[in-house]
Amino acid sequence: MIRFLLSLFVPFRWFIEKMGADYTQFIRILQLKLTMDDRRLKGLGNNSKKATENALMKQSFSQIFFGIFFAIFLLLVKSPFTYYYFAHTFLMVMMAMMIISEFTTILFDTSENVIIQPLPIKGNTISLARNAHVFLYLTMMAFNLSVLSIVVAMFKFGIVSGMIFLFSIFLNVLFTLFLANVLYLGLMRLASGEKLKNLLMYFQIVIAILFMSAYQFGLNMVDKTKIQDMILPVHWYTFLAPPAFFSGLVEALSTWLFDLQHLIFIAEALLIPPIAIYLTGKYLTPVFNRKLMDLEQGDRVSKVRIETSRNSLYFRMMSSLFIHRQEEKAPFKLMWKMTGRERLFKQTFLPSLGYIVIMMIVPFFGKSFNYSELIQSDRYLLILYIFIFVGATLPGALLIGNNQHATWVFKTLPSDSPAPYFKGFIKAAFARFFLPFYLVLTITICVIWGIKVLPDVAIALMAIYLFTLVFYYFQSPNFPFASEKLAGQGGTVFIKIMGLMAMTVALGFLHKFLLHWFDFAALILIPFYSAAIFYVNRTFVYKKITWKAVDKVNIYS
Amino acid sequence: MYNQTIVEIRNLQKKYGQKQVLHGINLEITSGQIIGYIGPNGAGKSTTVKILCGLISEFTGDVTIFGKDLRTQTLEIKKQVGYIPENAVLYESLTPMEFMEFIGEMRGLETEQTRAKAEALMDIFEMKANLNQRISTFSKGMRQKVMICSALLHNPNLIFMDEPLSGLDANSVIMVKEMLIHLAREGKTVFYSSHIMDVVEKISDRIILIDQGKVIADGSFDELNKLSNDENLEKMFTRLTGNTNHGEKAEAFINAFEK
Repeated sequence: MIRFLLSLFVPFRWFIEKMGADYTQFIRILQLKLTMDDRRLKGLGNNSKKATENALMKQSFSQIFFGIFFAIFLLLVKSPFTYYYFAHTFLMVMMAMMIISEFTTILFDTSENVIIQPLPIKGNTISLARNAHVFLYLTMMAFNLSVLSIVVAMFKFGIVSGMIFLFSIFLNVLFTLFLANVLYLGLMRLASGEKLKNLLMYFQIVIAILFMSAYQFGLNMVDKTKIQDMILPVHWYTFLAPPAFFSGLVEALSTWLFDLQHLIFIAEALLIPPIAIYLTGKYLTPVFNRKLMDLEQGDRVSKVRIETSRNSLYFRMMSSLFIHRQEEKAPFKLMWKMTGRERLFKQTFLPSLGYIVIMMIVPFFGKSFNYSELIQSDRYLLILYIFIFVGATLPGALLIGNNQHATWVFKTLPSDSPAPYFKGFIKAAFARFFLPFYLVLTITICVIWGIKVLPDVAIALMAIYLFTLVFYYFQSPNFPFASEKLAGQGGTVFIKIMGLMAMTVALGFLHKFLLHWFDFAALILIPFYSAAIFYVNRTFVYKKITWKAVDKVNIYS
Repeated sequence: MYNQTIVEIRNLQKKYGQKQVLHGINLEITSGQIIGYIGPNGAGKSTTVKILCGLISEFTGDVTIFGKDLRTQTLEIKKQVGYIPENAVLYESLTPMEFMEFIGEMRGLETEQTRAKAEALMDIFEMKANLNQRISTFSKGMRQKVMICSALLHNPNLIFMDEPLSGLDANSVIMVKEMLIHLAREGKTVFYSSHIMDVVEKISDRIILIDQGKVIADGSFDELNKLSNDENLEKMFTRLTGNTNHGEKAEAFINAFEK
């Protein structure tokens, strides 16, 4: 596989050398990176090679599956230009999100520098190899996402059109990579060291939310009844939109249309990505490398931060509300501190929160929105129960981090069961990162619907809390922040979680049904949830989280 | 508490997959001693230490510590044991104070007591000013000092150390060596696993040499020396592990890269 991927660069040797890189060294560095990825994937957790291969396959399948929905949408579009315009926009958004969420670590990865930097290798070669590495992964992702759209395009517009679409995807990937470089360089000019790391984290979160909101608002603005006949009019500014370059190229070459408009698109599509990559390799990457070395020195240039040892009032309140057993107290406190500081946790969790907020706001801006109808409705229930998805993200986000080798400490402590650790962890994360947002939501809902809905807010909160606990205890019992992002969860766990989510949605409907019966009928859910939470906290967790289960997935080195 | 048997190991064996790492270790360790546990790379030193600390629970053979069975009474044993691992990997986003507070609370110490102890211990290492800085900003040696302090917080009777001096500056090394001697005088037992022969030779009351998962020498340095007449532990180590041709190997090495 690695050999095949490397062979893809053979035809571009002249281009690589033109950018000032040494081709042989470039290939060797890329080979090293791919080999390290391969080993890293195969060595994740205690799982076997088979399990890891499944994780990769699962990732590809999920991308193909995600592409199905878009391909179905594209089935409706008649105009080739509109079809390819949408397809390229979708790809650019997905790739940008992927770069932001997954590849920032690869772009900023300096782990192999200790091997590479002392060797006589030019900076251009190193950075080009780094970009080629990201390019390979983005291409695989772009292909997975669009494989069905390519098939649909072949059926609708002919095989040649589909093939040219495939070629334009590569150009799109190159251009997106250039945009990512420009964006990150811009950020690197603003700060350095630890500040830059934090800035990057918040930038990623904001961009992810912005992309999602643009996507949601964009979809909301499309008049779905006219999709079939939709034709995108070409204005002067269309020539500035990158998806238009690529869609214009595909349309021109597949329909043999060479008017001025299409010639401009062809020129843009064929010239801009190579020029962009040339500029990236020649000018941007040396600056990027210099900044990256500054980033490595970050801890030395940044002022050392002194943490306060006092606990906040909110912490004390939450601690007394959630913690009733001595053995959970220390894990609760530990997790409270760590969730506030672990960048990967925030990077994973906060965007999900942003997405939910966007999804909740979008309907309010629809054309058919009517405020007086809204306050008469029980739509607040939907908003409340949507927060279950935030609860569902929290447990997964607690796993991800770079502390694989720090977990030994839990095993050396005299605890007969690891369950109190896990109870303390999830309670702290829930109290610190979920409740404040839920409180804001509660206030918003009360402003719109009045305080009469407070019991429903409390019932939904209990359902979400119960769901979050069960969800956390169902997933692989890794200690916090000690799993790599690609590790993923086993298939059966995924099915169980989907089942649980379906069950919670059903509970939402039960809540709605009871409200229609009479005003406070839903209150009967309170004792039910209380009993369930009590059972989960007192019995279920101790059965599920045992040292035997924990030892299977954690390495104490 | 002197000369009481506190660790008893009978036919300890461990396999990683198909690879047998420990081939039936038999040991009896009494209190108030510093045990130097030495051996070449891959001999099984760290595996033995991890088993005795409860980090590895799958093994064959019988181990009792403080008269308690390691398999069934792990919890009781862990309460009296301190462990300093080979690589000082800690949760980087925490400060030493937060890390030690966690350890202290999990070991049943009062928060104030833990804080006072942490401050005193870190002060000795001249790290009091770093107590509230994140561990991510620390050097290897500083991390090692945090690890040593946190392992001693609960005043354990048995201390396992896997290369504890790794990364420490010269003054700290001398201080830790002195500390170990004092601890042994107080009746505590130190199980000291290391590659650094001169330290082991100087501080250990008893030296256990393992090679390929088997104990090949066991006794005080003087006892072992009477049998072999080696001038120091390093010479004894190389002879017993069958690596006496270091000069030839060094020459071959130089030839290889100069070619």
